[in-house]
Amino acid sequence: MADKKITLNITTPRGLKFVEKADMVVMRCIDGDLGVLYGHAPLSAILGDGILRIINNGNVKKLALFGGVAEIGKNIVNIFSTIAQRPEEIDLERAEADRQELEALFQEKIEERQIQSSLILLRRTLVRIEVSMDLEEIEYFEEESEKREF
Amino acid sequence: MSSMRDIKQRIENVRSVEQIIKAMDMVASTKLVKIRAQLEGVRPIYRELKRVAEEVGGLEGAKEHPFYKEREVKNSLYIVFTSDRGLAGSYNANITAKALEHMNQEKKEKIITVGSKGYEFFKRKGKNIVQSVVDVIDSQVYYGSESLAKWLVDYYMKGEADEVFIAYTHFMSVLNYVPVVVKLLPLPTKDTVSDDERKYEPDLESYIDHMIPLYLHMKLFRAFSESHTSEQAARMVNMDAAGKNASEIIEDLTHLYNRKRQTAITQELNEIVGSVNILNKGGLDDS
Repeated sequence: MADKKITLNITTPRGLKFVEKADMVVMRCIDGDLGVLYGHAPLSAILGDGILRIINNGNVKKLALFGGVAEIGKNIVNIFSTIAQRPEEIDLERAEADRQELEALFQEKIEERQIQSSLILLRRTLVRIEVSMDLEEIEYFEEESEKREF
Repeated sequence: MSSMRDIKQRIENVRSVEQIIKAMDMVASTKLVKIRAQLEGVRPIYRELKRVAEEVGGLEGAKEHPFYKEREVKNSLYIVFTSDRGLAGSYNANITAKALEHMNQEKKEKIITVGSKGYEFFKRKGKNIVQSVVDVIDSQVYYGSESLAKWLVDYYMKGEADEVFIAYTHFMSVLNYVPVVVKLLPLPTKDTVSDDERKYEPDLESYIDHMIPLYLHMKLFRAFSESHTSEQAARMVNMDAAGKNASEIIEDLTHLYNRKRQTAITQELNEIVGSVNILNKGGLDDS
């Protein structure tokens, strides 16, 4: 059992950022969540904006991951992404401020093409907030209800 | 023969130039450390994405994709990375010469210049510059290359250019950097089929559609970083040499000044001694 773990490597433009052993990795692709266990068939996928869950020995770690590419092998997951943030790296106050600002923006009339980019920003902000909320309860593995605004 | 005052003036001039040189040297070396860290960071993801892009290029389904398909070449687009400021020795001359040499192979070129030095050079040569990017702040390089990559994909898809090259300076070490011209698009296809079992999510075409812009972004960002690092290294080395030259000139001039001063003193002494001798003999009237 001990060696039946997958190795997760996350590479960002700041270098190899994250190396971790895990039982299971759940990532958000552009068309839904994708869970990877040991011995997965080789697969390459495009990632969307969302939370990356790393489940190891019953603990869940969450990372905010925005876009990128995942390359899955038998016991390895390589993720190449532009942004990957740990909960402790997220400035919650700033994220909340961003969220309020963006939500206020939707109350007003805004241009059509602005909506798209603002929606993306808002989604990213919500992901950040959710990930950073996780900081306190990091040790426990809970069955949690999936709730997402978008 | 210049007078003592002239020499003194020159020493002052050289000294103030030396101060500027030293300041630039220091700025360049601080920037070099920073930009080098950025470069070291981007290299791994670039290398991995390059490998992925090449692997995908070996697949049957990818060969017809617009990013991989070779087209009949009517226009070639060049992206040339130069610096905004001079005082970097032969850094800018090397890269522009290399790019020019490549263009002269009977290419109908369109040029995007990054950095004002490249813009000036190609304008003087009367080349077709479609866009020029100048004065990019260091912190904006990342987003700048992202928007450049987006623009590039649009431009390429519209058929405005049928092949794309980037010319940048590859950073090997502080003393060694080589200008290179690399083909960016279309991407290379391999004849040998690689890793056929691999599946692509959601499908190969959308995978390529999403992966390649990321790859191009990283490639441009890396080229930017490579060039920037080389520029700072070149500036540092050149300023170091210039600083040494300035110190040498100051030393030489100081010697010259001291010699002149000595000569003047000797002459004055001679005059005094001469007059005293004459006076002791009882004045000029006696002779």
